[in-house]
Amino acid sequence: MAQNRGPDRRVSCATAGGPLRHLRAALARIAGLFARYRADDDLRDELQSHLDMETAEYIRRGMPPAAARRRAQLASGGLTQAAESDRAPRGLPWFDSVIADIRYALRALRRSPAFTTAVVITLALGIGANTAIFSVLRGVLLKPLPHRDGDRLIYLRQSTDGPGGANLSFSVPEISDFREHARSLGSIAEYSTWFLTLQGDSDAVRIDVGLVTGNFFEVMGLSPVLGRLTQPSDDGTDVPPVMVLTHEFWLRRFGGDSSIVGRQVRLDGTPVTVIGVVEAAPFFPGRMDALLNIVISKHHSSALMVLDRTHRMTEMVARLAPGATVAEARAEVVTIRTRIQREFKEAYDPGSHYRVAVIPFKEVMGERARPTLWLLMGAAAFVLVISVANVVNLTLMRGVRRGHELVVRAALGAGVLRLRRLLLVENLLLTAIAGSVGVLIAHGGLGLLVSLAARYSPRASEIRLDAPVLGFTIALALIVALLLSFTVPLPKEGTLAGWISAGGRWVGGSPRGRRLQRGLVIAQVAVSVVLLAGAGLLTRTMMQLSGVDTGLTSGDVLTMSVPLVNPARVSAAADAAAKVSYDRMRREIRVLPGVMEVGLGSTMPLRSSTIQIDVRVEGERHAMDQPMPRADFRTASAEYFRAAGISLLGGREFSPADRAGADKVVIVNRTFADWYFPGANPLGRRIAWTGEVLRFTPFSREWRTIVGVVGNTRDGGLDAEPRPVVFMPFAQEFAMFGGLVIRADGDASALATAATRIVHRIAPTAPIENVLTVAQIKDESLAPRRLNAVLISLFGLLSVCIAAVGIAGVLGYSVSARTNEIGIRMSLGADAGRVQRMVLGEGGVLLAIGLALGLIGAYFATGVIRGLLFGVPPHDPATFIGVAVMTAVIGVAACWIPARRAARIDPAIAMRL
Amino acid sequence: MADKLEVKQGTLALMILRTLKVLGPLHGYGIARRIEETSKNRLTLNYGTLYPALLKLEQEGFIKAEWRQSENNRRAKYYALTAAGHKQLAREAREWHKTADLIAAFLAPRREAL
Repeated sequence: MAQNRGPDRRVSCATAGGPLRHLRAALARIAGLFARYRADDDLRDELQSHLDMETAEYIRRGMPPAAARRRAQLASGGLTQAAESDRAPRGLPWFDSVIADIRYALRALRRSPAFTTAVVITLALGIGANTAIFSVLRGVLLKPLPHRDGDRLIYLRQSTDGPGGANLSFSVPEISDFREHARSLGSIAEYSTWFLTLQGDSDAVRIDVGLVTGNFFEVMGLSPVLGRLTQPSDDGTDVPPVMVLTHEFWLRRFGGDSSIVGRQVRLDGTPVTVIGVVEAAPFFPGRMDALLNIVISKHHSSALMVLDRTHRMTEMVARLAPGATVAEARAEVVTIRTRIQREFKEAYDPGSHYRVAVIPFKEVMGERARPTLWLLMGAAAFVLVISVANVVNLTLMRGVRRGHELVVRAALGAGVLRLRRLLLVENLLLTAIAGSVGVLIAHGGLGLLVSLAARYSPRASEIRLDAPVLGFTIALALIVALLLSFTVPLPKEGTLAGWISAGGRWVGGSPRGRRLQRGLVIAQVAVSVVLLAGAGLLTRTMMQLSGVDTGLTSGDVLTMSVPLVNPARVSAAADAAAKVSYDRMRREIRVLPGVMEVGLGSTMPLRSSTIQIDVRVEGERHAMDQPMPRADFRTASAEYFRAAGISLLGGREFSPADRAGADKVVIVNRTFADWYFPGANPLGRRIAWTGEVLRFTPFSREWRTIVGVVGNTRDGGLDAEPRPVVFMPFAQEFAMFGGLVIRADGDASALATAATRIVHRIAPTAPIENVLTVAQIKDESLAPRRLNAVLISLFGLLSVCIAAVGIAGVLGYSVSARTNEIGIRMSLGADAGRVQRMVLGEGGVLLAIGLALGLIGAYFATGVIRGLLFGVPPHDPATFIGVAVMTAVIGVAACWIPARRAARIDPAIAMRL
Repeated sequence: MADKLEVKQGTLALMILRTLKVLGPLHGYGIARRIEETSKNRLTLNYGTLYPALLKLEQEGFIKAEWRQSENNRRAKYYALTAAGHKQLAREAREWHKTADLIAAFLAPRREAL
């Protein structure tokens, strides 16, 4: 039994050696911490046995037992002393004292609940904001892609000058150029974004799909979670169509049912086998519901598609060859492109400046989110800086009150290190609590941020508060705690005398501490001004945007898309049937109560068309060095313009006479007229569609007479300049796409149910999409900007409030420290007003310096967000003046409270202090 | 008593290891006695020096401890060398010889100067 004592302290590992030995000793010590009491007994027993043996020895030499015992004790030194000196290396002495420090810190924090609460709230807001924004930043921009070797994935983008040239996609021959000649690109996959109608048992939905080559998943580095993915044997035209579901769509539409694999579904009337489900991963340029082999679309597998160099409908993703770099790929792509563009002059008109960019896939996915997210991250960092400054100030002021206690500790032998440690332990406790609250705040705000990010990035679903984000939070809390502990000045070691003579006024009372406090207040004001300036500019941007004339007359308008004809399989019969259905819908909805007008058209107002077609103007020659004239095409019925509220500027609207077989007529928008008929009357002139894109539309190259000019509408978003648009009569052309515009004389959204019921009755298998009022469409395009403005404003207000508390606190402290002096001044004849002005003046100086520095900072900082502004210059004087006035008002208000208190000091009482 | 030496830093561990090597498992008292005898009573050891050193060696894994009955039927904690302890002893002894030679060389009267 005795042998079993303290076996947990024994380390049986028998290897000797440097670092291992230290590790082993450290382990034994930690074990010793827990075996403390048992070990004490063990040691006492051992020492007792030593003593007994020594006594026995003396007795053996002939001493009387009592004397022998005494002698033994003397000879061996004091028992207790040995026990004590033996204890030090056994446990972890610093650990014990840290426990004591924690206990002490807890007690101290409990004793000043106001201070503790203020610090925790301030820091929690700062840390919470940073945690939340960082989680978005990480999820959307920083996290490695879930694709295997995602950093080797490359996206290629072809673009031109001129409208609609930002991303042209590629034609199949263009992709082949790279596949054959680019050695730095190991493998290249093609995909085209498309949409199909999935017929369910009781409904039909439009799904966004990618038509992919067999090697797509191999190149992307994605694995199936169920079944299989497409492979090269799925390429070609004589294979059955197969479908791979994205993880998200599988969960949403099929509830994660694993029996879906192998089943057949109907897509645009064609049976398609579901072969598998791919792991969760983002796609580009947007969300996808399913990926299919190309055979599903007759168009995409047509000779036109495969052979025509200008038939650009395909996206391209590549994997860098082993050892190749992005820079090499870039250089090679430029070389290949230069040669090809020389060889195929007809496909690349020089005025448009065709170019191909090579962009890492991860970057292209984050490119829209990047400016906004870094802006938010910067703003959040500013908020944290201000919070920390405030807490340092609070600590300084509290330090004054604690001075006495710390002096006593120093006098009792606590070194500066020991005192720093005490502060550190206290601040670690504070930041730990604040960090935990901050994580809760971040958790609460995450939903909002994910919805913000989803508008900018396909990776929004990857945003989580995961281990790296929590690591970031912990690191932040640690840094804050260190800052808090080491910015507070402590007297240098060995100057105990200095401490004692300074008495209770060692920190905040010292000139150094006072300077620090003032500097912090100035910094807080300055940073708040920068944030507020940013917030002001973004808010003005939002107001400018919502004030933008959409081009539609006011009124309540409901829109919905009801695509009846698959644009890839236009046939005369399907078109005629669709037109009959559309006309029935129009007539039946027209007679609903509250409906003023119903129009039919290919594209709803304030929605952009995806395809631009080259245009020829009769009697004009296209200069080779100019970008090719292009226009959005739309179709509209006679009632469309009235129903949507698009104003007629000249000529006439369409009439029922503009039907199939009649003369081809078009209506153009104002931008079209201004661009292609500058200073001339376009009415009666003729234009024609031309170019290569036209070949896959059902439109002819005939001349069309311009019969009317309508006002511009902001179809590409409120911040985008209107593009040239050509409207063709709905009845004269194929009914591609197709939707209804319903003008109501009251609340348009109230009509939604009745109208969709009619549409569903007439076309039970057609999907009904985007049932939205025009006001909702406008709002949707404003929403991300609004959220931006709101978040930055929130950060700005938060920081200015914290700064105000900072000013009030510092002045308040200054007043209480100078109560005596103020009393003397008052008794010497200074009146209350004078004292108040003195304190206000003290605060005013800080405020003015902070304001000036802040405006200078804002002048530079707002240049950074130029790209996020609309209709406001980055150095908008009105915003800057507004921010300055607002900060000044809040700052003076914050100074007012301590100034009033100073003015109310009773000299008779103050002098006695 | 006046000519008795304090145990030099770092040497005690070596003495303990050596003692255990020569005498086999031994209790603290025995180790103290043996060291004092070997030093011909020029060294004194008290508990406050000896037991921390034993504990340290035990934590480092060079010796292991076990409660046993002593020869005259007392309970005592016996220490014994581990395999690591044997190696450590060899190493420390080697280093000590080197140091001792070095110091001796320094302190030796230089012939050239004589």
